[in-house]
Amino acid sequence: MRVPLAWLREYVDLPADAQAVADLLASIGFPVDGIRERPAISGVVIGRIAALAKHPGADRLQVGEIETGGGTRLTIATAATNVAAGQTIAVATIGAQLPHVKIERRKMRGIESEGMMISAEELGLPSEWFEDGIMQFESDLALGADVVERFRLADAVLDVDVTNNRADAMSMVGLARELAAVQKTALRLPDLANPGDRDDGAEAPIVSIESASCVRFVAQRFTGVRVGRSPAWMRIRLALAGQRPIDNVVDISNYVMLETGQPLHFYDDARIPNHHLIVRDAKRGEKLVTLDGVERELDPSALVVADEREAQALAGIKGGGASQVSASTSAVLLESANFDGARIRRTSAALGIRTDASTRHEKTLPLILSDYGAARAARLLVQSGATPFAPHAFGAPVAAMPAISFKTSEVKRLLGFDLAAGEIRGHMEALGFGVVQESAERLLLAPPPWRRDVTLGADVVEELARMAGYERIKSEIPQVFSHDIESRGYRLERTIARTLSALGYREIISCALHGARVFENLKRAGFTPSSPAVEVRNPLSEDQRYLRYALGPGLLEHFARSGEPARVFEIGHVFSDGDHPSEISTLAFGYSVAPVEEPPWRDTAFLRIMGDSEALVYALTGQRDYEVTPDVRNGLHPGKTAVLLVDGREIANVGQVDPRMTDAFGVAMPVYVCSISLDNIPDYRTPQYAPPSKYPSSYRDLALVCELGVRANQIERSIARVLGPLCVRVRVFDEYRGPGVGEGRKSITVRVTLQRADATITDAEADTAVAKVLSALGDELGATVRK
Amino acid sequence: MSELANQLSELRGRFDAAVADAPDADTLEAVRVAFLGRSGEVTLLRRGIGQLPAAQRPAAGKTINAAVEVLEAQLLEAERRLATGNFDAELAKRIDVTFPAIAPLRGSIHPIRRVMDDICAYFERHGFAVVLGPEIEPDYYNFDALNIPPDHPARDGFDSFFLTDHLLLRPHTSPMQIRTMQQHKPPVAVVTPGKCYRRDAVDARHLYQFHQCEGLLVAQGIHFGHLKGMLTGMCRELFGPDQQVRFRPSYFPFTEPSAEVDTTCPVCHGLGGTCRMCGGSGWIELGGAGMVHPNVLSEMKYDAGAVSGWAFGFGLERLAIVRYDVDDIRRFVENEPDFLQQLA
Ligand SMILES: [Zn+2]
Repeated sequence: MRVPLAWLREYVDLPADAQAVADLLASIGFPVDGIRERPAISGVVIGRIAALAKHPGADRLQVGEIETGGGTRLTIATAATNVAAGQTIAVATIGAQLPHVKIERRKMRGIESEGMMISAEELGLPSEWFEDGIMQFESDLALGADVVERFRLADAVLDVDVTNNRADAMSMVGLARELAAVQKTALRLPDLANPGDRDDGAEAPIVSIESASCVRFVAQRFTGVRVGRSPAWMRIRLALAGQRPIDNVVDISNYVMLETGQPLHFYDDARIPNHHLIVRDAKRGEKLVTLDGVERELDPSALVVADEREAQALAGIKGGGASQVSASTSAVLLESANFDGARIRRTSAALGIRTDASTRHEKTLPLILSDYGAARAARLLVQSGATPFAPHAFGAPVAAMPAISFKTSEVKRLLGFDLAAGEIRGHMEALGFGVVQESAERLLLAPPPWRRDVTLGADVVEELARMAGYERIKSEIPQVFSHDIESRGYRLERTIARTLSALGYREIISCALHGARVFENLKRAGFTPSSPAVEVRNPLSEDQRYLRYALGPGLLEHFARSGEPARVFEIGHVFSDGDHPSEISTLAFGYSVAPVEEPPWRDTAFLRIMGDSEALVYALTGQRDYEVTPDVRNGLHPGKTAVLLVDGREIANVGQVDPRMTDAFGVAMPVYVCSISLDNIPDYRTPQYAPPSKYPSSYRDLALVCELGVRANQIERSIARVLGPLCVRVRVFDEYRGPGVGEGRKSITVRVTLQRADATITDAEADTAVAKVLSALGDELGATVRK
Repeated sequence: MSELANQLSELRGRFDAAVADAPDADTLEAVRVAFLGRSGEVTLLRRGIGQLPAAQRPAAGKTINAAVEVLEAQLLEAERRLATGNFDAELAKRIDVTFPAIAPLRGSIHPIRRVMDDICAYFERHGFAVVLGPEIEPDYYNFDALNIPPDHPARDGFDSFFLTDHLLLRPHTSPMQIRTMQQHKPPVAVVTPGKCYRRDAVDARHLYQFHQCEGLLVAQGIHFGHLKGMLTGMCRELFGPDQQVRFRPSYFPFTEPSAEVDTTCPVCHGLGGTCRMCGGSGWIELGGAGMVHPNVLSEMKYDAGAVSGWAFGFGLERLAIVRYDVDDIRRFVENEPDFLQQLA
């Protein structure tokens, strides 16, 4: 909210320095986003055009004789066309400082001009909001009066942030009240008594409230209204507050809204049959042309103010064109109403209209404001010559807010520091709260009618904290008592990040939302995701419509971008939409790598990622007795994919990304990945130490020939089982296919290490054991010793 | 000079040469046998003592013994030299120690996680647990349970991606605070880091996907000062030992009283001036905090009159920007190798 300091100072004494006022506001919960300093202007005074004549030497110029008080007459030439004798205007005298120019004596086509008649722009006001040419003032202003001083044009304007809970403070009076309370200085309120006392008898307005969303409605009629320009002081204030001046009736409604926080609406009384307004749900398909000239089709979710025929306004949001006040209007019907905030907010959101009125109403305004608003509007209309009738209130009366029984120990309990009863009382009274009863431990507080946000002890504590100053809160380290909440998921992630970064992988964080391109790539590679993707209903752009179904595509896009071989990992949620949207926490790591010359039955890059996968699984589970089996996975190479199981449960799947997929994503190199669902990882088991045998071991290298389908881990497992405790280690370390082995067969070399716990193993023992192994390998796997 | 002395002198000359030339322990042993062995040269000399006049014998014996001692010491020294080798050649080597090092295979942890880990480690040290949770959450956990009823204007601050009428991508990690309180009675002490989503147009200061770390402590006797103490400690952990924390009054539906939390700008050390990080204020805005609203405690079936608590919520990208002096928030999702490596 734009707050001209000059306006605020009318109600409360404040420090001269704008920054000091800003700091004060911030200290009580109203941060100031910006301070708009005003341009330096001096030497501008009120003058009257005593005479005006055509410039003898220039068609486009006129020369005026300007009285500026004390008998002074200045001769001033102007090119403006909206000037006439008798007008009260502002002139910049010789030596005056204007925003962009200093006024000096100068000749205009032979006539010495002793100053300059000025427009709104030269006062630092938006020129498009004021009359073309010379700005017009009222004739009752003292001639020679300094314009900057008279209208307080030098005072800065603050951009104040008012939080949603403070509907009462979205106004000059509201903020002034807060400042007075924290400073403990006087608040000078405008006259809030309604001057309307005439009985309008049979002409009295009637408001039928047919919806609970209208809580209270104050209606008031005025006659003798003359629609015209507002006085300069009001136009300047509105402009400084960021509100465009329109005409005196519209300006009064805006002015009162800014001053008190209560939005108002004026209807042309002649266009409201029987002065009868109805607040009701809109009818389905009902049309309303709003003040902005847009025809809107409504449905019953919208609340309207209608006359007996049709809707005349979108309640609390925007007026309608049909009953708009116009130049010919002589009587007006004022609406100062209170609506349910949620209802206004819904309609405003549904129709996409946000106005100064709706942003206030949606916070649900205090009822009392409807009376204040009507009273202030009436006072200003009377000043402009209108005749006020009595206000008529419909709906709920303004009731007192429920009293709060406040335990003074709450201050210490919630803030950690104590306030004396006297200080509590002083702060609360300064904020307008009544102290109804007082005891040693409790205060019975009556909130003022504008504070509907204070209902609980905690609310009172916040008021006291604001008034006492948040800097009184002292740092202290709490004693946290033990609890049984676990950090398992987080610790798993932490171990993963530490392990993989140590293994040379860089963590990346990619965007979880993506567009259709991922699916197009997938389709091009010949794949479809295994379950439908979760779709966002209201994406900001098409690039963010879908939630990722896997981390792999993000990795591929990263590899495509980086061009060079890279090693990365990502931990994140992946999403799928079966019966309902669901998600799982997932890890994917992998690398892109330049291909090397290798026989087609060997892939070192695969073995490396399997090694990293095993190292990670060990770090996460403390277990080495996992099992690896070949598998086929969507998107992975059909001959280079495996799953890693612990206790029969699948932990990880590892493989080369299907080259068609890699290609579709624009990655020029082979890519190897491992992915793990974090939910599948079993609890960590602390490894137990087994002391090695004191006796020397002995090893045998066995060169075997077997069918291509026999896997290395089948051979290892078979050997280990046959040898039992004699076997300390068995490891396949070479594979060969080609001449000398035979078609459809391969040669495998395996080193078997044998050891006894109780004695040195003899050669004879070892040979016997190996013979048993060879026999078993032959029986079970058809493997023979290579000749 | 006596004849014996001459003989000894000549013997030592040959002995020295033989020891110096011995290339290995075996040759040295042969030298020892040749000179000092049972039938070696020295033994032969000793036998010659008997031919001398009796008066000269003791002196001659002493001379020979002394010579033997010297020869044995020489042999020992030569043995040691042969055993340990000769380092002269090795020690004569000179390399350029400034030659570029051979880099290990280096991975890295993302700067957002590094900040997250440091915060979590700090809170874990003080007895807090770290809980993670779903990113898709019903509106109840995101809003209603947090004292933000439907159509409350505060929902404007959480412009969210909706999946269905009631399911959305969480705009904050507060749902995990609610889930934790539903499952545990006080004392409850958790931090809840995680990914969040809001419908923000992406620019140098905004991402629609970001990370938050929230904290919650509910127990008997917990007050606002405890929050200030913990957050001051956290800021010192992240930014340095001189950090200060200040609270400014604010409003959140789920806390009362509420505060905006600022910490000293670590770039200008609070001096402000023309600092681009803090805009000259000397303070950095961290996020919101406050005492948990009694309505939230009651919704969790906690006795709001008996227990109290606080909560806070900070954006991790914001903290990382300040900590690592990053110019553009988008760098955190672009994953440029150079960026990740510099902050590794
Ligand atoms: Zn700074």
